[in-house]
Amino acid sequence: MYNNQIKISLKINGQENTVHAPPDISALALIRDILKLKGSKEGCGIGECGACTILVDGKSVNACIMLAAQLDGREVLTVEGLNNGEKLSIEQNAFLENHAVQCGFCSSGLLMSTHALLSENPNPDQNDIRKAISGNLCRCTGYHHIVKAVGEAAKQSAGDENNE
Amino acid sequence: MNKTIEYIRPADINEAVNFLDLNGNNTVTIAGGTDVMIDLRSGEISPEYLLDISRLPDIHGIGMKDGLLHIGAGSTINIIARSQDVYRFAPSLTKATETFAVPQIRNMATIGGNVAHCSPCGDTVPSLLVHEAYAVVHSISGVKHIPVSDIASGPYLTNIKKNELISSFVLKPVTDSQFSNFEKIGRRKALAISRMNMAVILSKSNNGTVDFIRFALGAATPVSKRIEEIENFLIGQKPVEKILWQAGKKLADIMVAISGRRPSTIYKEKAVQGLFLRLLHPVINCK
Repeated sequence: MYNNQIKISLKINGQENTVHAPPDISALALIRDILKLKGSKEGCGIGECGACTILVDGKSVNACIMLAAQLDGREVLTVEGLNNGEKLSIEQNAFLENHAVQCGFCSSGLLMSTHALLSENPNPDQNDIRKAISGNLCRCTGYHHIVKAVGEAAKQSAGDENNE
Repeated sequence: MNKTIEYIRPADINEAVNFLDLNGNNTVTIAGGTDVMIDLRSGEISPEYLLDISRLPDIHGIGMKDGLLHIGAGSTINIIARSQDVYRFAPSLTKATETFAVPQIRNMATIGGNVAHCSPCGDTVPSLLVHEAYAVVHSISGVKHIPVSDIASGPYLTNIKKNELISSFVLKPVTDSQFSNFEKIGRRKALAISRMNMAVILSKSNNGTVDFIRFALGAATPVSKRIEEIENFLIGQKPVEKILWQAGKKLADIMVAISGRRPSTIYKEKAVQGLFLRLLHPVINCK
């Protein structure tokens, strides 16, 4: 057991936060166990399944293999930051509408990869979508519905932009 | 049982090497951290200090200087994959980084970590070798240059000392008349550790024979390395398909001579030959 703690200040889902944590814990442990945000999941714990995907300064990363201390001064987005209160985000809605969720364990990570993709590339093709979610394993759905949902989310967000 | 681990984030590279000089033996350096975090949790490593160098300004930036391509060791794989300078002057490295693991890992992992960790499967290493890259290495004694070919002494064994830090890699750029490529085989398209990877730079003379070639093989041998026998075999030859198959066969023999016969050899002998042909097939018809 470690007896020293370090101070980590971060902006998470739009809110400034300062916490004290052991220096060797992962970003995922900080998010789940200290900040009590349980949306990000731990699947493999070695950066292979993507269930813990979060966005740090807009880039998708695996929180399970990132050191919590590396979040200091960063802006973090987790699945809890996607929806606006009761209103689901475009990605969440598209997953729901297209039956892209079965057991749900991979969903938060997939939603974050989708969000990262659409922030960078509002008009992804099938290939872009498959590449963007290549780091997220789903053991239930066979990906077909997920790829469709991401495509629908892209269409939806492009439509929203045109309406603005 | 109480054990203390301390997290240190130095302000600049001098502070980092001073710290390493005093505590290098008990310190693990972390940049992308994709390997460190896993090893910490598994108990593989239990350092007293974690030295976070990821924000050191000295290890970032990509650009041409004095005719050479400089790549900061702290550049993430994704930054390299998207760099126009890398695409123009080291296109095989663009290909290697674009197909490296998955987006999440590409956003974290750094080229410095990929090289310093000395995994035989490091996907950036064959490209660095064909560009005759050297690492700029800092310590309290000053700055020295170490060829990338001299960094790994075996699988996961590095010649970079505990008190040293890589700040950048310096590559000889390709010229417009040179062909360059990277290929690898993994068990699936994304997130597969390479079973074999290879990179090449080649040019042909006016009469269609190879007048320049650097070729490197990785993952299929304990340490990625240039294979001079293959380079020498192809120099002066017209790279037609038959010759490339012959070179590929030679390469398979060399691989077996280095790595010995294993259960996977029966597959790898054919695969290395096929991958070599795929790597060089575009040069058959290009000028």
